Amino acid sequence: MSGKSYRGGLLKIMVLAVALFAMIIISFIGSEVGSGIVGSKPISFLNVEAPKYHPAPERPFHHLPITNTMITAWISIVVLGGLFFIGTRNMKLVPTGLQNFLELIVEVAANFIEDPAGKKHGTWFFPVCTTIFLFIVANAWVSLIPGFETIRINGEPLFRSANTDLNIPAALAVVSFCYVEYWGFKAKGISYLKTFFHFGPLWQALKLIFTGNFKAGAGSLLNGLISVFAGLLEILSHLIRMVSFTFRLFGNMTAGMILVMIMIFLVPWVLPSLFYGMEAFFGFVQAMIFGGLTLGFACAAVMEEE
Amino acid sequence: METWTTVAKLIGAGLAMGLGAIGPGVGIGILGMGAMNALGRNPEARGAIMTNMILGIAFAEAVAIYALVVAILLIFVA
Repeated sequence: MSGKSYRGGLLKIMVLAVALFAMIIISFIGSEVGSGIVGSKPISFLNVEAPKYHPAPERPFHHLPITNTMITAWISIVVLGGLFFIGTRNMKLVPTGLQNFLELIVEVAANFIEDPAGKKHGTWFFPVCTTIFLFIVANAWVSLIPGFETIRINGEPLFRSANTDLNIPAALAVVSFCYVEYWGFKAKGISYLKTFFHFGPLWQALKLIFTGNFKAGAGSLLNGLISVFAGLLEILSHLIRMVSFTFRLFGNMTAGMILVMIMIFLVPWVLPSLFYGMEAFFGFVQAMIFGGLTLGFACAAVMEEE
Repeated sequence: METWTTVAKLIGAGLAMGLGAIGPGVGIGILGMGAMNALGRNPEARGAIMTNMILGIAFAEAVAIYALVVAILLIFVA
């Protein structure tokens, strides 16, 4: 009895696997590149337009300065806001359904942040880091809805994944940078500037030299110069962070978009859905990295030095 | 002249991506090796190792992504 049903299930899976594999092969041979390799004629309904990548976001409405990535960002804001509004409209002490799910997200994020940052600083970091994470995830996943980029107005696509516009990752990077510096000042006051302008050891060394203790002063002079130089490097690293934040997110999302486009061009059936799944995963990972790195830099900024 | 500019752009983009992928490839290999070693020593910590490995891989991959951005800029913008 059980052996028979097991065998039947195995048969079903094998038939399905063979059918999917056959679909991949057929669609590859029918497409433009595959038919060129085999030497047959491309099948008309498998002939996908060659992928064209535009680095700059398009403007669907010619006289309005609104790009299609901006519209997508608005959509993801509306989706997030609507989700949280509906979920928290009539809250119950014992959550059910959507409220339960939202509380799960918030609780996991709170634990993730409080673990390295501690209770006091965790409450500072939590809103910004979680918002950045949720916004990037929403941007990445909204653009994975099938048919999302096919709607065209005035010959330009109406929607395009918001993270593939350089401006949106750059804006998020600037937000993250500003908040890190603000938290640094909030935690340490004006002495946060010591991280960047660390002249203390140099003055000490000069004082030693001018008070006649030349030998000890010359030894610590090098130390003083090094700490000044390290402070300047710190300024540079804080600024370069923004660039690396921007390009990491932008590059990953753009690479994903191009990869899906090329896979649809090469093999129109079955295979692109695997890459869709991969894109969903990478959107999540990139969002986690953006939020987590902001958290890490913030922790480094508020940390007390000995 | 136009042709040579195009040639230089395409070669530059290909070299940028190809050479830029070497380092991250080695890095991801080392990361995988470390994760496998850790898994062999401590199979119970599978979840934590997996999460941290994926985070590390994403960081190593970011370097290749910079090379990709340079290649895209060379082909489409420059």
